[in-house]
Parts: sequence; C-alpha cells; structure tokens
Amino acid sequence: MIAPMPLGRVVATERKPNTPHEFHFWTALDSPVGIGTIVRVDGAIATGGQIPHIYGVVTEGFSYTDLLTPLHDVLGHDGSPGNARFAATERAEIRLYSAAVLRQIPEEPLQPVPMGEVFLATESDVAIALRMDAFLKPGASTGIPVGIYRAGGMDSTIYLDADFLLGPEAAHLNITGVSGLATKTSAVEWMLSSIFTHFPESKGSIAAVCFNVKGPDLLYLDKPALLEEKDLELYEKLGVEPKPFDKVNFYAPYTAKGFALNTLRSNEDLEANTFPLSWGLREVLQFAEVLLNRDDVDAKADALIDFIKENILDREFTDALLGRKYIVRSFGDLDEWFRDVLRALEQKDDQSWRTHHVATIRKVRNRLSNISTRCAGLVTDEAIVSDLPFGSFEDRTVYVVDVAMLEEDAQDLIFARIVSKLREHLERRDLGVKNLIVFVDELNKYAPGDGPETYVRKMLLDIAERGRYLGLVLFSAQQFRSQVHRRVVGNSGTALFGRMDADELATPGYAVLSPAIRTKLATLEKGQLMVRHPHFTQPIFVRFPRPAVMQGREGTERYPQAGEMTIDVAVYRSLRLLDPGISLSWVQEITALYTEREILKARHATLLARPNDVKAYFAAQFRRIIPLEQPLTKKAAPALRTPPIDDPYGF
Amino acid sequence: MAGEPFGPASDPPILRAAEILEGGEMRAIPVERDTPADEGFAAFLDGAQRMQVIAQEDGIPIVLGTVSAAVRVRVDRRMQSWGRRPPVVERRLYMPFAYLGNSIVDAETRFELIDTSEADQNGIIPSQHPAALMERAVKKVQEDRERAELSLAEAWCESEEGPLFIDGGIGGSAAVATSSLAVGVVKSHRTLHAEGEALRTVLRLRVGERSPVFRIASRSRTAVASWYLRVRSADTRDSMWGLVRVEVPEENWSSEGANAVSCWVLRESSPLSLPDKRWDKMAYGVYDTEEFLRAIS
Repeated sequence: MIAPMPLGRVVATERKPNTPHEFHFWTALDSPVGIGTIVRVDGAIATGGQIPHIYGVVTEGFSYTDLLTPLHDVLGHDGSPGNARFAATERAEIRLYSAAVLRQIPEEPLQPVPMGEVFLATESDVAIALRMDAFLKPGASTGIPVGIYRAGGMDSTIYLDADFLLGPEAAHLNITGVSGLATKTSAVEWMLSSIFTHFPESKGSIAAVCFNVKGPDLLYLDKPALLEEKDLELYEKLGVEPKPFDKVNFYAPYTAKGFALNTLRSNEDLEANTFPLSWGLREVLQFAEVLLNRDDVDAKADALIDFIKENILDREFTDALLGRKYIVRSFGDLDEWFRDVLRALEQKDDQSWRTHHVATIRKVRNRLSNISTRCAGLVTDEAIVSDLPFGSFEDRTVYVVDVAMLEEDAQDLIFARIVSKLREHLERRDLGVKNLIVFVDELNKYAPGDGPETYVRKMLLDIAERGRYLGLVLFSAQQFRSQVHRRVVGNSGTALFGRMDADELATPGYAVLSPAIRTKLATLEKGQLMVRHPHFTQPIFVRFPRPAVMQGREGTERYPQAGEMTIDVAVYRSLRLLDPGISLSWVQEITALYTEREILKARHATLLARPNDVKAYFAAQFRRIIPLEQPLTKKAAPALRTPPIDDPYGF
Repeated sequence: MAGEPFGPASDPPILRAAEILEGGEMRAIPVERDTPADEGFAAFLDGAQRMQVIAQEDGIPIVLGTVSAAVRVRVDRRMQSWGRRPPVVERRLYMPFAYLGNSIVDAETRFELIDTSEADQNGIIPSQHPAALMERAVKKVQEDRERAELSLAEAWCESEEGPLFIDGGIGGSAAVATSSLAVGVVKSHRTLHAEGEALRTVLRLRVGERSPVFRIASRSRTAVASWYLRVRSADTRDSMWGLVRVEVPEENWSSEGANAVSCWVLRESSPLSLPDKRWDKMAYGVYDTEEFLRAIS
C-alpha cells in the first residue's frame, strides 16, 4: 500500500507559536483543506515511547504573497489589473491554516503540538478525533448519525452519542438558524428519523411530541418527499431509510365555530390521522394561571380559584345560601353556579360569601368565563374532552400538535398543559413510552432571555434542567440563540447551527468562534450544519439529507386547506372516518331539529367513544323531540243540498 | 547574486570601449514586443553568499562562509525547485594559514578549510592587516559562490531544453558561455562597455530600448555577445536605473535573437521584485530564487 502523501506541514514561529490547543500548518495551493476540515498531525519525535498523533479541525485560514505592500502590485502592473495576466510569473503564495486541537494521542502529557506532517483525516481518524470510538463499540453502540463530514472526496458519518443527546448523561438539542431556509425544521425532521432508526433498543421506547407553531412546516410528516439522488446516497451512508414517518398523529383545536379543525391540515384526504384537541373546564382550570396575568390573579382571586378547584369542580356542592345541589363539570355549569351565588348575595344584600368578597367573585367569574371565549375552539363550555393519548403513547410515533393558527393565549395553554401532562406521566412511568422528545420552535418567543416570567418559560426551564432524569428531552429551535434564556440553551448538550444572521453572529455568545467559522456560518448552504456535542471539543460541520417528508409548502399545494363548511358537512366528514357508510343526507336528517351546540356535542361524544354502531350512538346523543303532528285538515260538513239561487229561504 | 552581511569586493569603476557586432555604431534600438507569450525563460539561476566572522585570533579573522545556488523552474507561471539537481549549499572556514598557528589550522572541524593567505593570480600575498585578510576572504567566498552557480548552469545546459535566466555574466564557464540556453543578465555596471558618445547613447536608452550587440572578451573569461537594455524608465532617476546588460553566447547572436531575448527580459520586470533594493533591474524569478536560498541556507 502506498503511504498517503502529507498535505501540509506544521509551522510555528515565535510570533505564532503552537499551543496544546492550537497549531498552524501550510499546504499546497491546490490542497482540499478548508475551514472545518479535520486533519491529523504525525509528530516526528516519540513522547513516552509513542509517536504523537494530533487531530485538529481547521478554524482559520490565511493567504498571502511575498508582496510587502499592495502598492507594489499596483506599480508592478502600471495600475491596470488586466496587466497582471500578462506577467510571466505568479508571486510566491502561501496557504496557512490554523487548527484547533480536537484530540491528542497520547493524551498525557499534554504538550504543544509538535512540528510534523499534516494529513487529511481518514474515516477512522475522524472517529478518533471526535471521540466517537468511545460510543460506537460493536454491540453497544449508542451512536445516532447526525450527518456526513466531507473533505477531500472522503465521506465520514458523524454520530452523536444517544446518552448525551437523549439522556441520561446530558440531553436536549438546540437548533439555531435564520428563517426561510428550512434549516431548523428540516434538521429536526432528519434528526427524528435518525433517532427513530438508530435509538438503541436497550434504551427502550421513544416518541416525539412536536408543536407546530407556524405555517405548515410539520403538518405532512406522514407524506413522502421527492428526493434527489444525492440525498438518497446520504440516507444510505447514514443508515436511515428515506421514507416518511410510519406513525404520525396530528392534533388541532376546532375553529371558533367548532365545525372544522383549525389547521392547514384540514384537507379531506388527511383526516384519518388528524384529531381534534378539545378541553373542558377541568382541564383548563388547573392551568388557569397560564391565561390569567398577575393583575387578574391576586391573592384573593387565587384563593377563590383554589376553592373552586378543591370544592366545586366535579363534586357535589351544596350551600345554605344556594339551596340546591350543584355538580360543576363545564364552563356552562360554572357560570350557572356563579350566577346563583351572586344572585343569592344580592338578595341577602350581603357583601361576602365564605370570606370571598362579592367583587372578587365577580372578577373571577369574569376572568374564567372569558377563557372559553379567548380560547374558543380549544376550550368548550361543555365538558367535552379530546386529548393526546396520554398513557398509551406508542414507540417511534410522532404526535404533532398544531397551534399555528391559534391566539397566543391558546398556544400557551396547550403548551403548558400538554407538557405538564407528559411530565406527570413520565414521572409515573405510565406515558406509554420510556423516552419522549418535545420539539418547540420559536424559542425566542416562548423562552426569551428577558421579559416577564411566564408559565411557559418556567416549564421550558424545568424541562431543560430536570427533564433528562425523566426521559423528557427538549428539542428546541430559534432564529436568535442570543435572545433565548441562557439556562435553556445552556442546558442543551447538543447544539446545531444552520445558516446564521450576521447580526446574531456579532453577539458575544459567538466570540469563541473564529472569524472564519463565523463567516462560514453566515454562508452555510441548505443542508449543512455546524454541530456542537459534548464529545466534540470543537464544532464540526456536517451535511444532512433533505428530510424524506413532504415540505410544508408542497403539502399545502397538494392538500389545500378545506374551505368553510356547514355544520352538517363537518359532522358528516368526522363521522365518516368511523363509519364510511354514513351519508351526508343521513346526517342532515338526524340533525335537522337540533341546535349547533347539541350537534357538536353529539359529534364529540361519538368521536371519543368510537362505538361500533356509529349511527345509533350518534343519534342517541340527541334529546328526544316528539315531532308535532300534522294538524288534521278540517273537512267542511257537506251541504245537505245546494239551495237554488232564487230561493231566499233555502228550501 | 545576494550576499550578506559582507558585500562583494567592489571592482573600481571602469569605462571600456567594446567591439560593436550589430551595425557600426552605438545607437538605441527599440525592442519589438511581439514575441509569443509562451516563449521565454524556463528557469532562473542565482547564488547567494553569507559570511560570519566566528573567531578572531590576534585580530586575524576566521570567517565562516556559506555559499548557495539554486535553479528555480517556472511551471504554470509558478516557481518551484528544479528536480534534476538539488540546490547547492556549502559552508567553509576561510582563514589565513600563514598567520595562524598550526593548532588552529590542524584542528578537526566539519567544515572545509580555505587558505586566504595564499598568493593570488598576480602572486600577491595579503598582508596581516585584518581588512586585507577580510577582503581576501570575501573574494574567496565570491569565487566559491560563482563556482556553485556555474556548476548548476552547466548542469542545466547539459540536460534541459529551455532558456535559463542567469543572474550575472555567463563568461565564467566556457560550457555555459557557449550554450544556446544560457542568458546572463548583469545588474551591476562597475565596468561600462562604452565610452564617449557611445556611453551617452547607452545612458540615454529609454525603457524598451536596447543597444546594439557588442563583444566582451577578457583573458580569464570566455567571450560573449552582449547589449544594454533599459527595463524601467529612468526619467526621474539616475541613468543606471533599470539598466541591465544581457549576455548570450558569442556564436549564436543575431539581431532577431537579441530582440527576442530583450523581450523576454522586459517581460520579467513584472511582478516587481520589491522590497529588494535592486528591484529596478531584478527579475522576479531571481528575487524568488534569492528568497528560496535565504530560506534554505
């Protein structure tokens, strides 16, 4: 075998010496070295009986000639740049690179990088340099492919350690990149595919809950994409099947009218795995503080809300003042209860009830009643609940919650409640899966570095700091990492960076990166990422394949959003999923005499129950109405005899 | 040729009329720059010397001299070392045996010892004056450098096919001075080969003009054909600014050949050889060779 030729030589001067963490080398002008290239230095003198090998990644490059001042070049070509092409000789030129040390073998004693020959890292060199050899042991590999490192015609798969990506050693993933280049969404879709394929069996089951906070980005994870040959090659190299997710369930609240789901994924062809997300009073009251600001919930109001939660909700409640028994299960029930309490106080001309002042009661009534209006579509007056399958989550399944078209309050409520429920179930080990990834985009909005303390931010901080012990892993993304709460991004063991905004790169958080790395980040192509991972001592650039799922824009073109529909059409489309034999005319016939509220309630109940006899169950939900009988047509008594016109007496 | 820290021993300024071969009188001949771009010099040869007084024995200097020479070839407009012959780097100790004790002369050293007190061509032995001994050492080092340069030049002329730009004259070696591949370019003009009106004509040459070809012959050197060429305008400078003298083998000279070689030399004036002080006359290829020698010697 021919020994590989070195592509560079280590150089050091007094002004620019090598250190244990950085070295410099020069290469030929046509060498394949660039920013991010991984190289190996072979030392010449053995240390402790071992020839040192140093692995580094190129972080900076310099090029210069023997020209003392640019003016000499101007003079040399008579001020005309075109003359330079006629010069018989090109000036002597250098390509000088600085590289950050990734690893030294032997690791002790840690010495400055010695002079030596520089080689392009081979695939096995890359594994050693990035310490991947520690977690890619045959039979006990915890490697999750993140992408391909490419240099000098050599492709090398870069793995993340599942123990450090998904816990328990470290956890969480944070993705930063400018909007509009599909970097963040594509990266997370690719990572989920890779994780679902390569997550070690020994670590148990895993699922993902993705909050779709804008546009249609995550709404077609079950539909295939048209991939190019180069992407297919990447998939093969990375050992992931280029196909959409096998199991995806989509959840979205209803529109304010309550007929159709409030999502871009409302096309008739996509209904099979698109489910409503609908909550009642019990589900919401637990998270009332998400929707009520501090001005609303003072100590007195808080006490009353607690009283309602503890003593009234879902319980039989009697009070001497009220005179009758109450069971409050819905916003409607609660409003009725409030109305009766206030009316009774007015009748007694009393100012307080059970230490709660009438003004506080009125205030809490106002705020709580308002929730069903502010979160219309999600929160219903009735106790109708349609939720994620907490307790029966399935392995390798993605649960997408579409909150993109909702108001901020409703988004916050959904996020807070779902994450809390996930956490509760994971603590009890009864979620259905052992590990769960929660993906949240737009972290700038949900966990900003400044601004008031919100419930959602507290929850994100809690996941970031303690989630890994439960198997709850946060995958987050944002455009401006510098504006996200430091404890959220700081607790993310792994960070991915796509193309970055120059202003963002100018913030102090990126000062640790060399100017060349920052420049590369500002000009990254689609499909390229910079990876930081606990095992890698320096950031590494990788390519990842285009996700094998349909992109949002294509999805909305191929599956246009359903238009406004009437209530009977909405009900027909919902029920048809349970019983294809149901027809629109049957729905219209059954629902003709009932109010919208009653019809929607019946539909919800049927969808939740999923009965065998859908028609019978649906029809049974309506109160019986005895149709008015048609009035009998009064028949006039026949005249005995027609009197003659000219007979004035009728005879 | 580069030398430091001691410069070469200077000859006194001399005017010497030369036999003009091209036409009868000295005149300015414009160089027609229509030579094909792919023609020109294939390589550059230069030498360097460095001297260091490493010891003084009762005021008598013992000098470590380093001479080096290299050929740098041009491939795709970039300079690189000549593959057939490595560059020459030689170190010697120069000392006057006659004025030093045997213990020093006989001492074992890894360097070759050169006697600077032996008689020269005229039979003159230098005095014990340290400056005279230093001058002799400089001269010896110069001779060694020239020998190193010529050895490479001869090797080139024997084995290669492209023209070689030699920094300096070519008459020191008969093999080189008669090879059609050798072109010497002389930057120093301690001896000017013209007198009277002819001299004025030479000094008034404008950029891109050359003198007629004339013959240079001496007892110790092979005769060559030569001409003056102005490579940079001397309008606001002294009259020697940008003036070089080109040497080619005497047998091969022709007006067309002189024009073509002049055109090649003019083409070498870009890029500039700055920051070298002799940049007005120095070809970049020579500058590159000097930098190369500085790096390896």
